[in-house]
Amino acid sequence: MSFIQNIINGILLGGIYALLGVGMTMMFGIVKLTNLAHGEFIIMGAFASTLLAQALGIDPIITLIITVPCMFLIGMVLQSVLINRVMLQGSEPALLVTFGLSIILQDAMLLLFTADARRANVSYSTTNIQLPGGLYISVLDLVVFVISLVTILILTIFLRRTYMGRAIRATSDDTVAASLMGVSVRRTYGIAMGIAMATAAVAGLGVGMRWTFYPSSGGTYLLIAFGVVVIGGMGSIPGTLVAGLVFGLAQVFGGANYGLLVSYILLIVMLAVRPQGLFSK
Amino acid sequence: MSESILKVEHVQAKYGDFIAVEDATLDVPAGTIVSVIGANGAGKSTLMDTIAGVHKASGGKIIFKGEDISGMPAEKIVLRGLSLVPQGSRCFIRMTVEDNLIMGSFPKSARPMMKDTLDRVYTLFPVLKQKRNDLSGSLSGGQRQMVAIGRALMTNPDCVLFDEISLGLAPTIIKDIYARIKEISSDGMTVVLVEQDTHRAIRTGEISHVMLKGRVVLSGRSRELGEDEIKKAYFGL
Amino acid sequence: MKKTAASNQRNVRIIDGIPMLIAAIILVIVLAVIGFAGSNNLRRILIKVFIYCAMGSMWNLMSGYTGMTSLGQQTFIGVAGYTVALFTAKFALPFAVGILAGGVIGGVLALILAVILFRMRGMYFAIATWVIAEAFKTFFTSWGFVNAGGGMTVAGRPDREVIYLMCLVLAVASIVVIYVLLKSKLGLGLTAMRDDADAASSVGVNIFKSKLLCFVICGVFCALGGGLYYLNNVSIYPGSGFAIDWTVSLVFIVIIGGIGTMSGPIVGTIIYIVLDEVLAQLPAGWSNIILGLIAILVILFLPDGIMGTLQKKLHFELLSQKRFSGE
Repeated sequence: MSFIQNIINGILLGGIYALLGVGMTMMFGIVKLTNLAHGEFIIMGAFASTLLAQALGIDPIITLIITVPCMFLIGMVLQSVLINRVMLQGSEPALLVTFGLSIILQDAMLLLFTADARRANVSYSTTNIQLPGGLYISVLDLVVFVISLVTILILTIFLRRTYMGRAIRATSDDTVAASLMGVSVRRTYGIAMGIAMATAAVAGLGVGMRWTFYPSSGGTYLLIAFGVVVIGGMGSIPGTLVAGLVFGLAQVFGGANYGLLVSYILLIVMLAVRPQGLFSK
Repeated sequence: MSESILKVEHVQAKYGDFIAVEDATLDVPAGTIVSVIGANGAGKSTLMDTIAGVHKASGGKIIFKGEDISGMPAEKIVLRGLSLVPQGSRCFIRMTVEDNLIMGSFPKSARPMMKDTLDRVYTLFPVLKQKRNDLSGSLSGGQRQMVAIGRALMTNPDCVLFDEISLGLAPTIIKDIYARIKEISSDGMTVVLVEQDTHRAIRTGEISHVMLKGRVVLSGRSRELGEDEIKKAYFGL
Repeated sequence: MKKTAASNQRNVRIIDGIPMLIAAIILVIVLAVIGFAGSNNLRRILIKVFIYCAMGSMWNLMSGYTGMTSLGQQTFIGVAGYTVALFTAKFALPFAVGILAGGVIGGVLALILAVILFRMRGMYFAIATWVIAEAFKTFFTSWGFVNAGGGMTVAGRPDREVIYLMCLVLAVASIVVIYVLLKSKLGLGLTAMRDDADAASSVGVNIFKSKLLCFVICGVFCALGGGLYYLNNVSIYPGSGFAIDWTVSLVFIVIIGGIGTMSGPIVGTIIYIVLDEVLAQLPAGWSNIILGLIAILVILFLPDGIMGTLQKKLHFELLSQKRFSGE
């Protein structure tokens, strides 16, 4: 594969990587919660889209109409009923609870869906767009890339332009001042978790379209998400986008065998040298 | 004297075992400017936080517009028309000036008036209009205080509590902000001003309450009490 | 986890000293005898108890006393497991050399990792330890020398009784080491540090050195435990040696037993192994779901764990780090 082809593939991979991280970065930035179950949320989304598409005989992308609102609700309930309560005890118990959740969800999916490899089937999975110079773009990768960008764009507009979006940002800056503006912090946390889960639903669709996945795949995607969050700077959505691209390129250039390893090492170095991320002051 | 809009009756507030406010009783007549004066650590800020619902009272009653609001969370109290400009302004530093102000219109009742109130705030503080697209974190202390005041006005309140807005500001800026507060008051808004500077508080507030070590020790019309008596109460002499 | 368990109780009765020592010695002798007289099944279960007890106590030392929440102790476990397999199968050395080498490598690895990890705090530290473990797993999965994903087999496995005794020694050693460590000036400093880092440094405790010592000791013991586990288990794969499941178990043990109490992990281990044995009857998957639910419920309703809550309610402290009962 040529250098330019690597860059094309890296960028396409970076889009979905950014989407994997965007929900996690919201939880970090707003709720100040490290959500170790985010990988399982993504795999939940992947199962939901894949199985729904199969059962209804529709394109997996259409399943988002169902999966996104459902995951949003689950996230809100989870935060309101469980995590808000644990967070009163401090950040470590909350971290461990999300860790427990990830274990429970992973094994629940194993029981429900077996350990078989799955994949969301689309008709264009092997189609390529030929470019001059022997280069090509995979249609599937491009579709996932566009879905990722659109999702991140919608989220950005929501956070910038709506009352609720402003309330979420305000809460992440100063919870007390936000409550003085009539914002219920606990409710805002619930909505933030709902949004994080909704992005996980979309990310899950992307994962299911691009790769085969198992109930146990969550850990891999959690670590990618975490890498994107760390490189992008906690809570920064534009940062997440750039970090996704950095991570995607690093993995493509690392090659099939050591791609993941290169990403992990990059992440550890980042954590040690600049844990506040590349893009925060 | 007109009817009181806010009544604080024997309120007590603690941080763990530490009693910050032991016994505070205040009466705020509608449409007036009321000063709460006291030295550092007298419990003024805790009292304001308690009235606004940021801090929970451990005793006593807070009545606002005839309704008992003690124990209510801050986000519910603001809906009833009581707004706090917290100490140190507490702007949303990663948001623009305009987004900060629009945040004030978060209560559903305030949203329809958002554009009008925003214009009013910009007329009151023209510098905010100039800087409306800057991050509030990049502003000077005085400008941040203006953002905080503007943000409180955006919630469409009937009564605003100002918690030591002059802290750390240059005298000319303080003078300017106080002039704006008088302007706000003359529109019919009830104002509660927390101050360490007795002179400024007496000159601005028609009614003064002096706090000492967690208690309100002196209350009355500022002019009738006189500066000397207030200073004595302030120092606990 | 700031104010954990009984750390700031006044007037607590400390169960400690000579009577405790005698009881402990009797218990160890009984356990040693069981190693020869007991059934194979009992031996198998107790081997697990000893290994998890050692590792759980160590995890508790890190998280409960020094505030370092590691989600990556499987790094040491996996590396040591592979060391034993390599030394016995590839280099044809005795198993004891493999176990000890695993411990040494674990300690050295901890020192090296500390250089990176000690730049981080809280959740960053937690995630970084996990990422490192995943990096090791990924590396071992593609490393031809250790047979990549195919795994390795230990050669020259000794009798079950020998392994049993070694595991018992490991468990006792880990508890003694932690007890001595926490009773020393350094231990008091660690407790002070957990409660207030500034206060600890003003008392003259070198926080960095104390944390490093704890981290290295934990690395060594987890490596020894991992070596013994895979010596007993015979086969090791990257997916099992470096599995996050190890951390899941350790977290469970410490949370259930009571974080920041010395006796907590011992109680937690027994509960964990019993539950694990009982739940193993259920179809695969259920056991982790139930363990996860129990852990979450305990965090919600019993944040000090079983021993922490008991000690608080009944005003006693088993194996205290406090030097004087009048403290």
